[in-house]
Amino acid sequence: MKRIADCSVNGCSVCPDERFSKTIMAQSQCNIENRLGPLLAMIPALAVGICFCLILAFLLNIEPGDMLAAIWIGAWGGANEAAATLNKMTPLLLTGLAVSVAYQAGLLNIGCEGQLTLGALTAAVFALGAAPLPWPLAMPLTVLAGALVGALWAFPAIWLRNSRGIHEVISTLLLNYVAIYLADFLVRGPLGDGTSMARTAEIPSAGIWPNWWNLGTFGVTAAPLAALLLSCILHLWRYQTYWGYEATACGNNPVAAKAAGIAVGRRQAWNFLLSGALAGVAGALEVVATHHRFYAAFSPGYGFDGITVAFLVNNVPGWTWLSSLLLASLRSADKWLQISLGISPNTIIVLQAVLLISVACQAGFRLPLSFGLGRLLERLQRHSNHREL
Amino acid sequence: MNILQLLTLTLGKTTPVLLACMGGLLSELSGVINFALEGMMLTGAFFAVWLTYSSGSPWIGLLGAAAGGTLIGILHSLVCLRFRANQIVSSIALNLLAAGASGMLLNQVFQVYGTSPTVEKLPALNQLGIGRLPFLGEILASGAGELSILVPLSILFNLALIAFLKWSVWGLRLKACGENPLAAKAAGLSVNRIRFLAISTGGALAGVGGAYLAIGELSTFVEQMTQGRGYLAIAALILGRWRPFGILPATLFFGLSGAFSEWLAVRWTGLPYQLFLALPYAVCLGVLLFQMDKKQPPSALGRV
Repeated sequence: MKRIADCSVNGCSVCPDERFSKTIMAQSQCNIENRLGPLLAMIPALAVGICFCLILAFLLNIEPGDMLAAIWIGAWGGANEAAATLNKMTPLLLTGLAVSVAYQAGLLNIGCEGQLTLGALTAAVFALGAAPLPWPLAMPLTVLAGALVGALWAFPAIWLRNSRGIHEVISTLLLNYVAIYLADFLVRGPLGDGTSMARTAEIPSAGIWPNWWNLGTFGVTAAPLAALLLSCILHLWRYQTYWGYEATACGNNPVAAKAAGIAVGRRQAWNFLLSGALAGVAGALEVVATHHRFYAAFSPGYGFDGITVAFLVNNVPGWTWLSSLLLASLRSADKWLQISLGISPNTIIVLQAVLLISVACQAGFRLPLSFGLGRLLERLQRHSNHREL
Repeated sequence: MNILQLLTLTLGKTTPVLLACMGGLLSELSGVINFALEGMMLTGAFFAVWLTYSSGSPWIGLLGAAAGGTLIGILHSLVCLRFRANQIVSSIALNLLAAGASGMLLNQVFQVYGTSPTVEKLPALNQLGIGRLPFLGEILASGAGELSILVPLSILFNLALIAFLKWSVWGLRLKACGENPLAAKAAGLSVNRIRFLAISTGGALAGVGGAYLAIGELSTFVEQMTQGRGYLAIAALILGRWRPFGILPATLFFGLSGAFSEWLAVRWTGLPYQLFLALPYAVCLGVLLFQMDKKQPPSALGRV
């Protein structure tokens, strides 16, 4: 596998995914350097992000320290801010997991936004309808309903890919808009609460996730914990089970995986459905833990942010908490930037874009920390082998 | 609202999507996936308003819009061709960048949030002095005269693009890069340079599409004013099956669909106007599902 990739480097046919997949393959070997790979991949991007902040501060005539301090205070400055950041982390973590599970099997799911929207709507409607059920039954079922609809909305994309050969990026992109307009129609019409606010009725208090930590005014629900638990399970699943291993193999080299007897199409399909389900869970948790009802266009682009979350840590589920925490901190700091420094909250979006671009470019950059070191070691090893020969 | 008004509305809705779609076509025919059309349009819209505001002339604003779109195009080609990043991830990052940077600059340049001050518009059709012509004058008098000059220009651009791709050597070279970059390289072409030029020119076209929104239709910049039109352009590209002649009917259909939904929202509030907003995407999915057209996308699309 490695040799094949090396050979095609000098043509122009090498696909960037192959380089990503090489790092993923390296991670499955058990040594500490490779285990920390995602972290090492994130550091250069973070460095670029901080440099960007400093340059921006210089251009805007702000004390550089002030800008970084404002981001920190906005996200973690007090109990209320910390609670808001932790609650924002849940959907980001789950959509990040959704993207990384699909990418593990070599698929890019950019339809998280639509899956999340419909998952949230379903959860809200289900929670309203399931009010008579006792809460130990209603709560998991609500989330499951969201997951099911998320997976259902991912199904056409993977079916089109497997039977018609249509790239999943195109179909999920189209399905996104269909989902958003569908939800908009439903919530203004048959499923709305009768007002012109484009929202469903508030779900009964029995269906709402209670706070487990009374941090600040609003507190933190159990949703971030549930998301963390899911990320741990997915990490174990990916590295410790046959299914996870086979799915990773499909992503790294589908031809080789097929030759090894893995049902590539089916593995990819299941991973993609799982990805859709995770995005649906993100929407459902957002409803039962944060908003307590469904609003039209309630997601500020969580689905697309999932891509940043997943790529920042090289699509490793076990590290996704870190990148989602980072993005949640940035997202909840945006208003504070406006209040304290008078600069637009959009600065945060630019910063996020810079992070994503720098992490996407790494495959070509081969920054010394994450790639160069490994290659250097490899070359030294090859060199010493030559001497022995 | 009579049929002529519906047609006028359709043309107005078609123009920005058609311009962006042509930009996407150039880039994708050369073999690079371009989902950054949304960002190119938004940057174009902002630059159009900015330069019109500072220079006083909407024509300079139009040039600025092309430059702004080109800027995103250059970034996209740099990230994809030089650093070989995943083209879809790069596009999404650039869309984020454009959305954030235009909002940030709006605050820095005009000291406002949300909406920029009003600037001068590009001339409309009835300002051109062709209203006295016998047949055209009647049409212009019935409301079509309010349309921006960019509407006929965009159709002219499309005809020029068809001619360029069909009959010029450079058009052939561009398509060669998208179909078989190795063969193109063996024939002595610089694949990356051609792709770079294609993406940048495409960016300029998409930027002009953004300018239509900002200084053609409205006369101000609003944050996130493209509202997914860049993605609609990608859908039109798929529906038009990557044919320079196919995207014109595709975008016209999308424009009609959008115009119809606006009409419905006014006329029959009982009917779901969202149906016609979602229709372009649903039709696109249907075309993919039933494989009504065997034409495939450029074979090297997405591979660097």
